[in-house]
Amino acid sequence: MLACVPSAVLRGVDGQLVRVEVHVSRGLPGYTVVGLPDAAGRESRERVRAACLSSGLPWPLSRVTVNLAPAAVRKPGSGLEAAIALALLAAADALPAGALEGIGVIGELSLDGSVRPVPGVLALVGTLAAAGVEQVVVPAADAAEAALVPGVTVRAARSLGELHACLKGEAPWPDPPAAPPPPAVVADAQAAGDDDPADLADVRGLHHARHALAVAAAGAHHLLLVGPPGAGKTMLARRLPGILPRLDRGEALQVTRIHSAAGVRTHGRLVERPPFRAPHHSASAVALVGGGSPRVRPGEITLAHLGALFLDELGEFPPSVLDALRQPLEERVVRISRAHATVDFPADFVLVACSNPCPCGRPEPRCACTDVQRARYLRRLSAPLLDRFDLRLEVAPPDAGAGPGPPSAAVRDRVATAVERQRDRLAGTPWRRNGHVPGAALDTVAPLPADARRTWRAICRTRAVSGRGAARIRRVARTIADLDDRAEVTADDVELASMLREDLA
Amino acid sequence: MSGGPDDERAAAALALVSLPAITPARLRRLLRAHGGPQTAVAAVAAGDAAAAVGRARDPAALARLWRARLDVPAARARVRSRRTRVWVEGDGAPFRDPGPACPPVLLGEGEWPGALDGPRVAVVGARAASPHGLADAAELGAVLAANGVTVVSGMAIGVDAAAHEGALGAGGAVVGVVATGLDVVYPRRNGSLFRRARASGLLVSEHAYGVPPAAARFPVRNRIIAALADAVVVVEAAERGGALITARHGAEMGRTVFAVPGSRRNRAAAGCNRLIADGAIPLLDPGDVLLAIGTGDPHARWHPPGPGPTDPDEAAVLDALGGEAATADQLARRCRLAPGRIAGALRRLAQRGLVEHRRGRWWPR
Repeated sequence: MLACVPSAVLRGVDGQLVRVEVHVSRGLPGYTVVGLPDAAGRESRERVRAACLSSGLPWPLSRVTVNLAPAAVRKPGSGLEAAIALALLAAADALPAGALEGIGVIGELSLDGSVRPVPGVLALVGTLAAAGVEQVVVPAADAAEAALVPGVTVRAARSLGELHACLKGEAPWPDPPAAPPPPAVVADAQAAGDDDPADLADVRGLHHARHALAVAAAGAHHLLLVGPPGAGKTMLARRLPGILPRLDRGEALQVTRIHSAAGVRTHGRLVERPPFRAPHHSASAVALVGGGSPRVRPGEITLAHLGALFLDELGEFPPSVLDALRQPLEERVVRISRAHATVDFPADFVLVACSNPCPCGRPEPRCACTDVQRARYLRRLSAPLLDRFDLRLEVAPPDAGAGPGPPSAAVRDRVATAVERQRDRLAGTPWRRNGHVPGAALDTVAPLPADARRTWRAICRTRAVSGRGAARIRRVARTIADLDDRAEVTADDVELASMLREDLA
Repeated sequence: MSGGPDDERAAAALALVSLPAITPARLRRLLRAHGGPQTAVAAVAAGDAAAAVGRARDPAALARLWRARLDVPAARARVRSRRTRVWVEGDGAPFRDPGPACPPVLLGEGEWPGALDGPRVAVVGARAASPHGLADAAELGAVLAANGVTVVSGMAIGVDAAAHEGALGAGGAVVGVVATGLDVVYPRRNGSLFRRARASGLLVSEHAYGVPPAAARFPVRNRIIAALADAVVVVEAAERGGALITARHGAEMGRTVFAVPGSRRNRAAAGCNRLIADGAIPLLDPGDVLLAIGTGDPHARWHPPGPGPTDPDEAAVLDALGGEAATADQLARRCRLAPGRIAGALRRLAQRGLVEHRRGRWWPR
């Protein structure tokens, strides 16, 4: 009379284990769901009933109570319906005892009895696997993604009737999910494939800024390019994905999990290219850092986790939105607190931003903005935010003599080398890249040789940089040396790092 | 002009300048019709001023408004408390040869009455001047001051401020012609310059106290700058800049107009080169302008460049700049040094003031 099936719901970008308990007893026929479902969960009654009847399965004319445990946690979404239906069938003796032993179920039901896909399957299956479930039933459309989780047997469910037959042993389980077909339209995260037409070789001039872009990609240093329209700064920044090294398997799983949970189609494949997110400047603070109620959703900075966030026309973003970025930029994680839940989203990204130097937006010869107007425009960007850019560069339009630079592939190789060096150096520390190392740890992690230190001190004195700024110059200098595959930071590296961090005015 | 009976005259003139909808033409008609400030004030107080209004929808109504708003006691208090100096048309005004373009009443404030006694040269130019233009303006201001010449300019950002600063730094006198009331500091950024200009010269204006900055008043103000000077020097001016208006007024008033020639690549100098093409004298050395006004050392030269840097990287970078502005990319292409070495050379040069970074370009001094 009682049956219990493990399932899971999304909580942020992670899974939350939910035990679906169904009790069928004598009494007036009725159906009650308890355990804080949301509106979609309460509506499940109609979908579960119709799906059972369409599949030719019995619907008990009894009193049905569905409990979603733990009872005190809100359960958003409709992904528990398949689990409810199977638990109901078991409780109503339509499934043999023990048929559901060790099986977790995920999926939404359609009125005709088919099992519909749900977002975040990778995270949900991971949660079930961690809870000791051996077999997981997932919607057929999500089976390929679920198969990325090691240690569980994935059963693809097409419809409730078929599921019922397989569980009873009347039919064999369908074949394990085939490799996903090559998608015709790939999600933006994968758009920057190897055949990416946006190559650095297309950009004329801007060698200095190009170097800064490579430094940003290699050491996870945030980069701000300021320059008049037509200087090519957006064109350059858009080519960042082409020089970011591929994600390793652990990173790819993290990114895929986040994207799946956020509803970005991953087509059952691992996201192996670092994500590149470019929200428009009309984005709200919630769209950028995450939020929402009752289901707290990840924002663009979380979708850019382990990749890059590109903000074009930084000065046009509302200042309040930009200031919401300050804490995640520093901590590489964002904590969203709402009345009913507090969720931590990972937000480890490289911020690349472009801005016009003045409000008129006219290219250089026709711009008549005064220094005061320019200073006022850049003052929209708060000093603490500007301070968080390790690399700040004012670019001028390339002149006639400027030629093309090295192609993306060549730069990507140098970046990969630099990443490798950092991986070795930072192994056993909480940091992945030079850009993450706090100032206090620099002396142990990346010590400066005597002559480089003398130069660094001289720069700090003459430029009157803050303590934080001084640390940023050191970190960038370390990455410059890594890009050249050198063990020692030289005085020239420090000089270049200082030049790549201009005082914008 | 301060003291006893003059105070009354100054107060009367200030009261007239402060009338609503007053224009230089109306003021001039008032003064001419009634013979002087005090008699004009009496006429306005009696409501007899309609004839001076000239073209207006209802001259009588404006005359009634003038009668209602005329406030001689307030003007008297202002003149006493601020020690305002007032020049009225016809009393040996400070203008070299007052023409119809000059205002009938000019107000001044400042601690150095002698600023308007000696030779005077207007140094004007663009607000968005290049580092080169700013340096030239400052040096010219200093040379003029050292030769006992008062520098006249508009107290604006850019070349104006640099010329004033140069003259003040050399211990000279300045005359700042403002387009607002004398109690308004605009641009606010130049607050300290305004204080020092009052201490070492004069601020003058044709407007009543409290008149705020307005775009239309700035070009009109430029005719006063030209009228107060013996010669006009344009240091840097864009193709359509306010400084060209000053130069045109100067030419019309018969002043010698100089322009500092610039590179064709320097857009801030395009107006100067145009002036030269139109007949202005290219200012090759500060002595040229001293020669033209017949005072000081006609052989005064621009400050000669110091000895070049001994460090080979720094010398290579300065050579690569070639006296003009360049981006970091251009420098890298021209001097073929590693980016880090260029960066170091530029930083050391900037520290000694030999180069300056501005808007993505490096400028040699």
